[in-house]
Amino acid sequence: MNHHHHFVPDFETDDDYVNANTNSSSSNLPRKPIIGEEEDGDLMELLWHNGQVVLQNQRPNTKKQPLSSSAAVKLHNGAPPPPLDHNLFIQEDEMSSWLHYPLGSNDFCSDLFFPAARPPVPSSVRPPEPSSMRPPAPSPVRPPAPSSVKPPVRNFMNFSRLRGDFTGRNGRGESGPSIAKSTVRESAKVNPSATPASSAAREPDLTRRTDGADSRGAGDLGSKSAVDGGGAYTVGHNRKGKAVVTTERTSENLGASSSVASKSEIEPLETIVDERKRKEREEVGSTECRNEEAKQGRGSSSTKRSRAAEVHNLSERKRRDRINERMKALQELIPRCNKSDKASMLDEAIEYMKSLQLQIQMMSMGCGMMPMMYTSMQQYMPHMAMGMGMGVEMGMNRPTPPPPPPFMPFPNMLASQRPLPPQTRMGGYPAVQASDPSRVYGPNQQFDPNSSQAQFSGYMDPFQQFRSLHPSQPPQFQNQAASYPSSSRVSSSKESEDHGNQTTS
Amino acid sequence: MSSSRRSRQASSSSRINDDQITELISKLRQSIPEIRQNRRSNTVSASKVLQETCNYIRNLNKEADDLSDRLSQLLETIDPNSPQAAVIRSLINE
Repeated sequence: MNHHHHFVPDFETDDDYVNANTNSSSSNLPRKPIIGEEEDGDLMELLWHNGQVVLQNQRPNTKKQPLSSSAAVKLHNGAPPPPLDHNLFIQEDEMSSWLHYPLGSNDFCSDLFFPAARPPVPSSVRPPEPSSMRPPAPSPVRPPAPSSVKPPVRNFMNFSRLRGDFTGRNGRGESGPSIAKSTVRESAKVNPSATPASSAAREPDLTRRTDGADSRGAGDLGSKSAVDGGGAYTVGHNRKGKAVVTTERTSENLGASSSVASKSEIEPLETIVDERKRKEREEVGSTECRNEEAKQGRGSSSTKRSRAAEVHNLSERKRRDRINERMKALQELIPRCNKSDKASMLDEAIEYMKSLQLQIQMMSMGCGMMPMMYTSMQQYMPHMAMGMGMGVEMGMNRPTPPPPPPFMPFPNMLASQRPLPPQTRMGGYPAVQASDPSRVYGPNQQFDPNSSQAQFSGYMDPFQQFRSLHPSQPPQFQNQAASYPSSSRVSSSKESEDHGNQTTS
Repeated sequence: MSSSRRSRQASSSSRINDDQITELISKLRQSIPEIRQNRRSNTVSASKVLQETCNYIRNLNKEADDLSDRLSQLLETIDPNSPQAAVIRSLINE
């Protein structure tokens, strides 16, 4: 059999082993092999072989335990624990977790991890302030770079309170506290302010060494609005490059400002949404803040101008958010729309809308034609049907080949239709009875071609007709001769047809 | 999309957006009677246009469903072997 050497203890195996241990009396193995703690403190290597434990190595005692699994586990004390154990260690010794996972480019990637991890949140919706009060679990995402080590003592103090949140985030634990502090402080100060401005306030705090109330207040609007306008919708769009850029800049800003974070209290973490938006804002926020700092030196007038610009950016961002919302809604409406590009999606929307219009026209014509026989319709319907039918087929790309004949036999169908009920709204129309194609066509030829135009134009705007008819119940075929499209045509064509056949009974 | 001769590095995204907006406006100008009637000016905001488009498409879908229901009802009333039945079926199945 194979010897399986696993650095990661198999928990099930261990449990079984532990259970088996309890049953056996000669077990010298540690009660918690998972943690890797040895009662004896010696290096022990356990090899399960065919359900039996053949202990090898330093321990003089060989333990043979019947086991259900054949996994072999190496338990080391003091050696680098397996990653799973590492999570358990975090709570006891956070520092070690940081040491094992040096900061670096991983932090940049983490920004991408979080957007993927979290559900797609519309960028137009800013998470409420209470969300920022949560423990700073995502804050470790922010790369503080080397400066995070500066206040080690404070890190520990803060980190002890964030203990539970850093499980699994080994790599960023070190940077977490410093970031959390900085972000927390900003969010704390931002809380009283408006929700949208709150998250923006973090950036200026991050980038500035000296926090002035005015500057921060000004920076709130500026950084937030400016950044959001720039990179609010990063992932998945052509602004992805911006997201990366923001991250890098963010790291620099954070690195510079982490030293300022000494006074921050630990505050609840912002959500991942906040994180991403903050980073996006930092891109512009950093520049905005620097500009603001420079402006403050010159006077408040330039600051006011910048504030106006920031307000404009804010409104611009809102508008863009609204537009993107509508775009998403539209995309959901369009069937089989797999386009991520806005332009192609709009193209599909246009095609779909036109095809829908044509389809509705065709169906309404079909509805109108089937039960009734309008002499006027008979003449014009085929022409229109053929023209629009071709358009429909090409626009909709019907899988089945369009039957050209259907439009042709319309007159025949009309001729063979049951007789119209005598009471119809189309009193002027001749009651074409039974099957007399010649008779059907007879009156048609007398019609003024201009009337066809009027009728045709009525067809070309079914949506309008539908809208006008919507409030009222759709007319029943038996009660009213007018169907959707014909209602408008009735009035328009009545005069022209009145002078035609007056054979209505 | 026609490629513009503008510098691409700075305005690649903006170029796409301009084209998109132009498409939007032209499309809705053609199709939606509401916008055609109500907004004679050129100041049609994109969000408004998009909103109207969504509403319009929803209405169109609803109309299509209603019409197909009616057509199917019609289909039951007429001789299923007649050519018009075939026509109606083709209309419904679109």
